[in-house]
Amino acid sequence: MIQLINLTKHYGKVAAVDGLDLDVPKGQIFGFLGPNGAGKTTTIRVMMGILKATAGQVLLDGQDVVAAAQQAKAIAGFIPDRPFIYEKLSGSEFLEFVGKLHRVDGERLGRRIAELLEYLELTYWKDELVESYSHGMKQRLVVCAALIHKPRILIVDEPMVGMDPKGARTIKDLFRALAANGTTVFLSTHSISVAEEICHRIGIIQKGRLIACGTMSELHQRAAGRHGNLESVFLELTREQERGPHPAERAG
Amino acid sequence: MSSVALLLTPLWLSWKNDFVRGGGSWSRRLVLIALAVGFWLGTYLVIRRVLRYFETVYDLGPGLAYQLLLIILLTFLAMLLFSNLVASLSTFFLARDLELLHAAPLSPDGFFYARLITTTINSSWMVLFFSLPIFAAYGTVFGGGFALYLWIALILPLFLVIPAAVSILLTHLLVYCLPAKRIRDILFFIGLFAFIVMYFLFRMSQPERLVQPESFGNFMQFLRAMETPSSPFLPSSWSAEILAGTLFDRDTEQGFFFALLASYALFLPLATSWACGAVYFDGWSKAQESRQGRRKLLWLDRVLGRITWFFPAPTRAIIVKDIKTFLRDTTQWSQLFLLLALIVVYLYNFKVLPLDRSPMPAGTIRTVVSFANLALAGFVLSAVAVRFAFPAISLEGKAFWILQSSPVSLRALLWSKFGLISAPLLALGALLVFLSNLMLQVPPWMMALSLITVCLMTFGIAAIGVGFGALYPNFNFDNAAEIPTSFGGAVSMIVSIVFIAVVVMVEAWPIYQLAIASLRPGRVIAPTLWLIAPSMAIVVALTAAVVALSLRAGLRRLEQLRD
Repeated sequence: MIQLINLTKHYGKVAAVDGLDLDVPKGQIFGFLGPNGAGKTTTIRVMMGILKATAGQVLLDGQDVVAAAQQAKAIAGFIPDRPFIYEKLSGSEFLEFVGKLHRVDGERLGRRIAELLEYLELTYWKDELVESYSHGMKQRLVVCAALIHKPRILIVDEPMVGMDPKGARTIKDLFRALAANGTTVFLSTHSISVAEEICHRIGIIQKGRLIACGTMSELHQRAAGRHGNLESVFLELTREQERGPHPAERAG
Repeated sequence: MSSVALLLTPLWLSWKNDFVRGGGSWSRRLVLIALAVGFWLGTYLVIRRVLRYFETVYDLGPGLAYQLLLIILLTFLAMLLFSNLVASLSTFFLARDLELLHAAPLSPDGFFYARLITTTINSSWMVLFFSLPIFAAYGTVFGGGFALYLWIALILPLFLVIPAAVSILLTHLLVYCLPAKRIRDILFFIGLFAFIVMYFLFRMSQPERLVQPESFGNFMQFLRAMETPSSPFLPSSWSAEILAGTLFDRDTEQGFFFALLASYALFLPLATSWACGAVYFDGWSKAQESRQGRRKLLWLDRVLGRITWFFPAPTRAIIVKDIKTFLRDTTQWSQLFLLLALIVVYLYNFKVLPLDRSPMPAGTIRTVVSFANLALAGFVLSAVAVRFAFPAISLEGKAFWILQSSPVSLRALLWSKFGLISAPLLALGALLVFLSNLMLQVPPWMMALSLITVCLMTFGIAAIGVGFGALYPNFNFDNAAEIPTSFGGAVSMIVSIVFIAVVVMVEAWPIYQLAIASLRPGRVIAPTLWLIAPSMAIVVALTAAVVALSLRAGLRRLEQLRD
């Protein structure tokens, strides 16, 4: 469902993403793990066609994100790490706008907005301007926006930042339910516990390269099987390649 | 719904929401509306007065009015080119909703035309607002009736779209061609370009010729020059030609010029959309790379350390932080180009002033103009202060908690801002007055009086800017440029102008006495101390009061933020 083929992105002379190859099948929650500045956000931005790759290709359900940008984006939903929402629009106006961007219209859009707002407990606030929302409420509104067109692929960058435990639980349950219904979720995070809890498969990126990829048990084997949890595996795998801070992806 | 209309919905919905339920109380709105109506009426009355005066000049009236129209439209064109450059950089490359939109399945054309319209609206509404009373004044004085307003309605949209398309194209090419991480450099070039364009457009219009008929070979040559545009390849000249046909009953090819204007207004956006479509994604991708780190400038640290050594450590830290932030924030320092253009045009005006043809003695008229210049310099300083001093506190933004939670008193914070702003404002004010007085060849006492007054005024203006900025803080701004245009910014500007007016009025009496004295033949026109000292003392006291009261009001407001 998601294919990254030799994906490379350079910032000047620095390789933020370096020859990334990845294949995520339908209905899977894929955890994209890595330390700060590893290249996670850059990868996601390239996947969503927000940044242009220096080399390589991203295919979303077979659609090239550059050559067939509109088709690829039409089947994907995106939850950024630092969500931007028009502050002077109300929650429902914002969702209506995003829905129409994805060509969801009329009664179907109204029903979908009501359904999502209800699920993420924002119904009471739907007519308030976004500027009056708390950080967690804005996060939940962005999740609504990403799901408004029932995407087949959901690309998520650091979803739990600023969420309270209840909100975080709701989101995790949502991702599981989406995957069970066939939606592919690509989840970038540096929260090991989140990845461990909900991901079917995990890829570890460091300095722009994929250094490990597999299910939990495969990663345990890869790290010589001595470790009890993902945190230890992650630290073991990244330690040997640790060469000081990586300049890429400082923004994200 | 077409994608263009859809992409414009956040814009008009934000306006609507702001109007219906946001944006402060009705009293504030009424003040703003009153200010707008005041400016509108003021512009209308001044232009009407000027045009009525032109009308009295036998045979030359329409020619002079036409030349004025050309200059006005040329100035609008220059302003539009620059504001569109800055606006398009923001709308196409820096706006915060771009990631959201780029992640959506939008057609590139829909996106381009929506942003073209947004850029045009953002950059042009002020020109549109100020142009209407000017056209109304022309209509009142020279007639033209319904046809004039019909032409205006037809011309204006085309006139606004042309510079928008040109600027958008230029912005795209700049972002595409310059190496990555170079947004600051792009703004530098934009500023420089705008400055050069404004300078040349201004020179091309040669406004000084209007008051120097002797520079033409004969009267007929002068008359002909009055009736032809000095730069026939600009849309401003085409628009002026069309309007002149209706206003002055001149035999111009209105249809031809309208077709010219319309064809460019249709062709340029189309050509720009093709060109931008080819380079946009590369340019946008490159623009994102500017988010990487920057190298440490050791020399800057050393220089800042030396010039701030005498301040207490916390004040010094705030000043150094503010200077570095200013230098690294393109939206702030790029405005210096506008300032530079302003100074050049300001001084240029003094160079071409026809003082020798005045019926008054040269010495007297120079003193009077120099004194009037004080008010003008004060006005310029106020405008600069609203841009740079008023946002000083608000620019702390969401990081204000750092200062609030640090062991620095808010009083020290305000005084450090005041000190930091006062220094460059003093330099600017002194430079403006010194150079213009030099060109006017004023006597030494007038030079001294002007310099002392402008220095005092600067302290007052800086304190009003910083104090009112603290009184009306906005820590949640989307764009730093919106801070000075807020309600508080308008209040700060008004208070500043009132302060200047009072200072000028206090000093007007001794200057008037000296000017009158100089009109009597044989009188020595050197001032005596007793004549000037009382008004200077009043100005000093007034300045001290304004500084103290403004900063105290700001301090109180900042302290209330803790409640």
